[in-house]
Amino acid sequence: MIKIKDLEKYYKTEELQTIALNKLSFEVKQGEFIAVMGPSGCGKSTLLNILGMLDDSDGGSFIFNGEEVINYNERKRANIRKHNIGFVFQSFNLIDQLTVFENVELPLIYTGVKKAERKKKVHDVLEKMQIMHRRKHFPQQLSGGQQQRVAVARAVVNDPKLILADEPTGNLDSSNGNEVMELLTELNNQGATIIMVTHSEHDAKYSHRIIRMLDGQKVTENSLI
Amino acid sequence: MLRNYFKIAWRNILVNKGSSAINIGGLAVGMAVVMLIGLWIYNELSFNKYHQNYDKIVQVMQHQTYNDVVGTQVANPAVMAETIRNEYGSDFKYVLQASWNYDHALSYKDKVFFKPGSYFEPEVTEMLTLNMLQGSRDGLKEMNSIMLSQSVAEVFFGKENAIGEIMKLDDKVDVKVTGVYEDLPDATTLQSLEFIVPWDLYLSYNSWIKDMEDPWGSNFTQTFAQLGDNSILETVSSKIKDVKLSKVTEEGRRYKPEVFLHPMSKWHLQSNFENGINTGGRIDNVWLFGIIGVFVLLLACINFMNLSTARSEKRAKEVGIRKAVGSRRIQLIMQFFNESILISCLAFILSILLVIIILPFFNTIADSKITILWANPIFWVLGIGFSVLTGIIAGVYPALYLSSFKPVKVLKGAIRIGRYAAIPRKILVTSQFAISITLIIGTIVVYQQIQYAQNRPLGYEKNGLISINTTEETHKHIEAIRTTLKGNGAIVEMTETTSPMTAVYNTNGGFDWEGKDPNLPVDFPNNAVTEEYGKTIGWKIKKGRDFSRDFGADSLAYILNESAATFMNLKDPVGKILRRGDRSFTIIGIVEDMLIQSPYKPVRPSLFHLLRRQENTFILKLNPAMSVNESMSKVEAVFKNYNTSIPFVANFVDEEFDKKFGNEKKIGQLAAFFTFLAIFISCLGLFGLASYVAEQRTKEIGIRKVLGATVIKLWNMLSKDFLILVIIACAIAIPIAYYIMDGWLQKFDYRTSISWWISIFACIGALLITIVTVSFQSIKAARSNPIKSLKTE
Ligand SMILES: Nc1ncnc2c1ncn2[C@@H]1O[C@H](COP(=O)(O)OP(=O)(O)OP(=O)(O)O)[C@@H](O)[C@H]1O
Ligand SMILES: [Mg+2]
Repeated sequence: MIKIKDLEKYYKTEELQTIALNKLSFEVKQGEFIAVMGPSGCGKSTLLNILGMLDDSDGGSFIFNGEEVINYNERKRANIRKHNIGFVFQSFNLIDQLTVFENVELPLIYTGVKKAERKKKVHDVLEKMQIMHRRKHFPQQLSGGQQQRVAVARAVVNDPKLILADEPTGNLDSSNGNEVMELLTELNNQGATIIMVTHSEHDAKYSHRIIRMLDGQKVTENSLI
Repeated sequence: MLRNYFKIAWRNILVNKGSSAINIGGLAVGMAVVMLIGLWIYNELSFNKYHQNYDKIVQVMQHQTYNDVVGTQVANPAVMAETIRNEYGSDFKYVLQASWNYDHALSYKDKVFFKPGSYFEPEVTEMLTLNMLQGSRDGLKEMNSIMLSQSVAEVFFGKENAIGEIMKLDDKVDVKVTGVYEDLPDATTLQSLEFIVPWDLYLSYNSWIKDMEDPWGSNFTQTFAQLGDNSILETVSSKIKDVKLSKVTEEGRRYKPEVFLHPMSKWHLQSNFENGINTGGRIDNVWLFGIIGVFVLLLACINFMNLSTARSEKRAKEVGIRKAVGSRRIQLIMQFFNESILISCLAFILSILLVIIILPFFNTIADSKITILWANPIFWVLGIGFSVLTGIIAGVYPALYLSSFKPVKVLKGAIRIGRYAAIPRKILVTSQFAISITLIIGTIVVYQQIQYAQNRPLGYEKNGLISINTTEETHKHIEAIRTTLKGNGAIVEMTETTSPMTAVYNTNGGFDWEGKDPNLPVDFPNNAVTEEYGKTIGWKIKKGRDFSRDFGADSLAYILNESAATFMNLKDPVGKILRRGDRSFTIIGIVEDMLIQSPYKPVRPSLFHLLRRQENTFILKLNPAMSVNESMSKVEAVFKNYNTSIPFVANFVDEEFDKKFGNEKKIGQLAAFFTFLAIFISCLGLFGLASYVAEQRTKEIGIRKVLGATVIKLWNMLSKDFLILVIIACAIAIPIAYYIMDGWLQKFDYRTSISWWISIFACIGALLITIVTVSFQSIKAARSNPIKSLKTE
């Protein structure tokens, strides 16, 4: 499903150039559950942003579902994104002016799902995330863990083929964390491909394969199955 | 999708109640001002259009050269219309002679009222648009007839039929009511034509007009005309140019009379002539307020855009998220446009409410009677079109700029939007304050000029002076009246004279004196007065002596004002001889110049001599030792003795004098009104921006406080930027304001100079306003609990 080769990304600031990704290559098959690990600053979030087509790379190749997408324009990317990819950000990124319900509903609106169906889907996923009772609240009125669950709910509501999750359990206690991991596993079992960044060896065990990174490069890759 | 946009837009308005109120309110005030000015300008531009023959109606006027200056007048010889009709009849549909429009005593049974009206040749009813309510349009064919306006008819006859009733005009002649027409609207020059009587009636009891030796020698009537359907104004105007020149005497030719046509479309807005050239008039005010209106609107729009874009930056994150979950750019663009258009339309609705509230007040200070053009589609098209346009302009930045970023950039806050966007915003705030400061300086200069002219030395004592029109009876008995009123202590002195203290009713040429260039045509205000004139008004004799009853020969004496003595270039004027025709007069005294006409113009060379027949006005000096009410009732009682059937009317000279400043005062009041609004709008904008900046820096403020910054230090940090902007605005505004106001002052011969303190005052004012506005926000932010502000991240 995903094939990246020699992917490069630089950040240029006034004095120094940071190499966030350094000729990174790997492949992810349909239905895989991948964990990406590595020390802070090694380029994990950068990688995820590029895979999610939220950011450009500075070199290399990125094949998504057999298409080379590296030179796609905004419109094409937005189109691929809304139909295929669900995103869980490291820092939640919920819209403050929208309620929990509306935040989760947003991807469905952009893909043109009918209103009644939207309501059902949102309710389903909120039930699953156990924040149904909070659906009318605004993000500021929720705890960090609750916000994280809303963010996950929003990422999965559209049944995306690919879920990109940046430390989805980072703000959760272990029991809530486990629930999120169970949910991801379930989605994976239903066919979704998942790429998850994590610092937790425990969470990484839910995955099929762990990619370890250091300074923008892949160091090891070990399969758990 | 659209509903979703509206929901979010609406929620955004509600969430930021304060800044939304500022944003919408500020724009609404700006729109209201523009609407008011627009309505006023519309009213000015559509003046006189009530008359269907608007395009064809003209007034016959003439230029004449006096004292080397070309003067322009509406006064014509009484034979003007007839002559033009005879010689150029084919170019006109109608040429009509008319009297001045002034108050006449109209009476019916025991009711007597003064009402303004004119004598007109009968076709006036065809030329003007008169909507007949009773009777027919040809009501002036019979000599002893009268046509009344609706309001005059109601005063005398109520709702009853007026046709056929006999009224008395000026206590002299009986006239039969033959028609009642709808009042002419306020927006017409002839609005005070409240009744019309036939010109022939005027001639019938002013038989001297027909018997005049030289009918072209005096100008004392008006002439109106309607061009033929195919005639072209300019062509006809130049064709008739010499119609008077070819008739006047040798002496008259020296004044170079040039007849021309002044079209109705220019009567209201372009009525000023300077040395024979049509130089404008009220059109200047239309321009002035049009420009102010545009500026106020600009201020409001600047605010709106500033605040909208400032607020939208807070939404950069939202843009990123929406993109991440699949929004297309066009959808974001639509969303932002939607929101700003919604806001500007709300402002439009609010502005209409504001106009409804302000309009009566505006009408009072602008002395206008404008109404909202509810039924005029142009009004709505312009209003709504403008709202949408403002919305689009205000929405451009968030819609196009923010939506263009890579989602990850906005999400991470990698683009420091604030820093770059702050520059245009600073420019906008600076120009906003520059406009406000310019307006402040302008307003002060207008008031200073009025003040200056009001304080101009008058040359006479205007307090306690009243003027009363003369009648045959009162003229005959002036001595008795004078003795009675002096006797009972109501007045100090009284006189009879040609002109009241605030106008010139008579000028004469044909004077000759020692050393005069024989080809120089002259024309002087020439006042006939009684011996008590000087004592009544308190003029100041500079040389020679006043008129006196002790000198039998004073009937051939003249007193000149200082300007006349200077103009005539007489070294030792007292005792010199002044000749007119074959008569000689002696100059017995020189008085200090008296301000009679425009307070902005030099005093004209003027002459005074003793009266020989009935003149126009009595001037009375009330006794300062008696209350005005008491002395006035005594005066009224005495005058009533002689004028039994005419209402008693007296004018206070100081009130008449104040009317001379009406136009400038109105400009001053309107300018003050708009300046106030401009400052208000600027403050709203500043307030909004300051709160935005404070909010944007909440986290920084919190951290600084935790690290020990004092409130004063934080206040200083937050306010400094704004003060610098206002100082720059001052530097820009002062030269611009000086340049503009200097140009405005050039209109006046007698003008103030712009004092340096005005700009100092305006700048200090602007700075104070800024400090107060900004401090409110920055102190609030600086005093807030740091934990609270840190938690918001
Ligand atoms: N906008 C940016 N400008 C400059 N450098 C950046 C920018 N974003 C990231 N970097 C740098 O790129 C490198 C990779 O960053 P990235 O966010 O991908 O790290 P990460 O692996 O996700 O770290 P963490 O586990 O702490 O989230 C870091 O060294 C970071 O400093
Ligand atoms: Mg990261």
